[in-house]
Amino acid sequence: MNEEFAGIDIGSRTTKLVVVDAAGAVQRRRQADTGFEPMATAEKLLAGTSCARVMATGYGRNLFEIAFAGRTVTEIKAHARGALAFFPGTRTVLDIGGQDSKVIAIGDNGRVHRFEMNDRCAAGTGKFMEVMARTLGYAIEEFGDEALHADSDIAISSMCTVFAESEVTSLIAKGRERREIALGLHSSVVRRVAAMVGRVATAGDIVFTGGVAKNPCMRALLAQLLGRRILLPAEPQLAGALGAALLALESEKYQ
Amino acid sequence: MAITPLMNDGMDGAPAKRVLHSMQEQKEKGRRIVGIYCGYAPIELIQAMDLVPAVLCAFAEGPIASAETVLPANLCPLIKSSYGYILEGTCPFFGLSEAVVAETTCDGKKKMFELAAEVKPMHVMDLPQLPDEAEALVNWTAMIRKLQGFLEKTFDRRVSDDAIEASIKATNRKNRLMRRIFDYAALHPPLLCWQEMYDVGFLALPARGEEIEPLLESLLARLAVRREQGECFGTERSPRVLVTGCPVGGDALKIFRIIEEAGGLVVTPDSCTGIKSFLGETEEDTGDPVAAIARRYLAIPCACMTPNTRRLTALSQLIDRFRPDAVVDFVLTACHSYNVESHKIGRHVGERHGLPYLKIESNYSKSDEGQIRTKIEALFEIARS
Ligand code: SF4
Ligand code: SF4
Repeated sequence: MNEEFAGIDIGSRTTKLVVVDAAGAVQRRRQADTGFEPMATAEKLLAGTSCARVMATGYGRNLFEIAFAGRTVTEIKAHARGALAFFPGTRTVLDIGGQDSKVIAIGDNGRVHRFEMNDRCAAGTGKFMEVMARTLGYAIEEFGDEALHADSDIAISSMCTVFAESEVTSLIAKGRERREIALGLHSSVVRRVAAMVGRVATAGDIVFTGGVAKNPCMRALLAQLLGRRILLPAEPQLAGALGAALLALESEKYQ
Repeated sequence: MAITPLMNDGMDGAPAKRVLHSMQEQKEKGRRIVGIYCGYAPIELIQAMDLVPAVLCAFAEGPIASAETVLPANLCPLIKSSYGYILEGTCPFFGLSEAVVAETTCDGKKKMFELAAEVKPMHVMDLPQLPDEAEALVNWTAMIRKLQGFLEKTFDRRVSDDAIEASIKATNRKNRLMRRIFDYAALHPPLLCWQEMYDVGFLALPARGEEIEPLLESLLARLAVRREQGECFGTERSPRVLVTGCPVGGDALKIFRIIEEAGGLVVTPDSCTGIKSFLGETEEDTGDPVAAIARRYLAIPCACMTPNTRRLTALSQLIDRFRPDAVVDFVLTACHSYNVESHKIGRHVGERHGLPYLKIESNYSKSDEGQIRTKIEALFEIARS
């Protein structure tokens, strides 16, 4: 019988579903805005799949556990597993999602042995990048490319989204170049994220997951500042859901 | 089958109510009450003078809004809460207290005490912060003698060294009993839950040794019964957690609750509201009971001290005794002493004991419970693997 296993990552902004087969090969991927009814969204994504086991992760996982009697795993473990699927030798994972950022260190046994999570404020998250791109009149997809084309950097001192927004507005008013402001914003986020990486895992390649990993300027600046290679999975935003799907499969197998 | 609550007096889970009840009774008997805020307040001396120490409220989110009309928002919630209670006049213990004993521990607290002194007489003790210096003991002994003078004058009474010596012995006996109670949490699985440890500690800390002894003995008897009947909390497989760091009480108890909800067991509350206050022994029959008290209190491993190497020693002893699977360092927002020290704690826990370690920085609000839960669950995933 061809059994399937699902991983669902219920994030604060988007919910992602990945379905794998018994060999761990991805069969399906779906994504939707989490919206105001996360369980309804989850149900819609799961509709039509008949999985032997579903593993939920993300901030909505505990709700899912109650609503669907499903199993859960933390984002930390799910992202680590997902990153390992993309790059089998992974030792460091950096994930920057919509509302939080985290760094995970993986031991030689393939298990998480340390992590740090920034969830106290929007600084250094996808949300911050989105607000700043909008303030500068860029689409989020082009934000990083534009920043990479700046001739020089501008120091941005505020990391709080609200203050940074007004700092950016006043820089625009002073006639500063949009791209330079964009680069300055990227640099300030990267400095903060790099410090977190340094605290958790000091050497080796870094697998970058989460939506922000798609930003080329973030990757370039991180590689430069840390002097480490940044590895980008094919679909960085699906790492959590993929990891959860694989953990669903493995929990079945080893039970 | 539900386990019968340890104290089973109808006030389980409401320790403040229980203690308030006992304070009011004592007040009716004519005893006078002195407020205290911190683990450094020399309880033996206060009790030797037939005064009742009352631990003042400092653990609720509620009064913080009032406090912030005067204090900066970016301050430790424990300090803001204490002051908010004072401003609002809503701490019943503060109301009962005729004087308050304070210490120069951290900066935020000592500056707050200046403001609190406008409301009630505060006696501030100058706490040495380099505990290993020879002068520290001399100075702290002098400070305790000064406190004696202050209390003698304020409450119009005298105390003899013999009475202080007797009080030391009673407190030692009480603390030994408390340690025997905590020992039941060292069992696999533990026979005590965090709420029970917290409740007993809350009651025992300000209590006179000779008055609480019968109760503590009866709790030990009940624990022995639990052991016979095989009653315990969690299972062999539930992750055991030692929670170190800032004092945990009231709204900060969320950290214990979340650990429990995530399937863990708090087996060692290592803070001033937990086991810490019951660990020391004061040397008996030294001929100078006040110096003996000073020595014991200076040995408290508080992050206000530098260097605070005693904390690492004490932590190792607790880890060896309670065998946790993980250590959580609970740091209150803006508590610089514990926050900076957490780096050393994490290193020690990892290198010396090979245990997973997690720092949680939080305040009294509920807003971050989801995030704390995720971190705790991830910690357990690490501990299990
Ligand atoms: S942690 Fe330090 S300052 Fe706070 S109550 Fe304990 S001894 Fe006092
Ligand atoms: S928790 Fe830290 S900042 Fe707050 S009163 Fe205690 S030592 Fe001071």
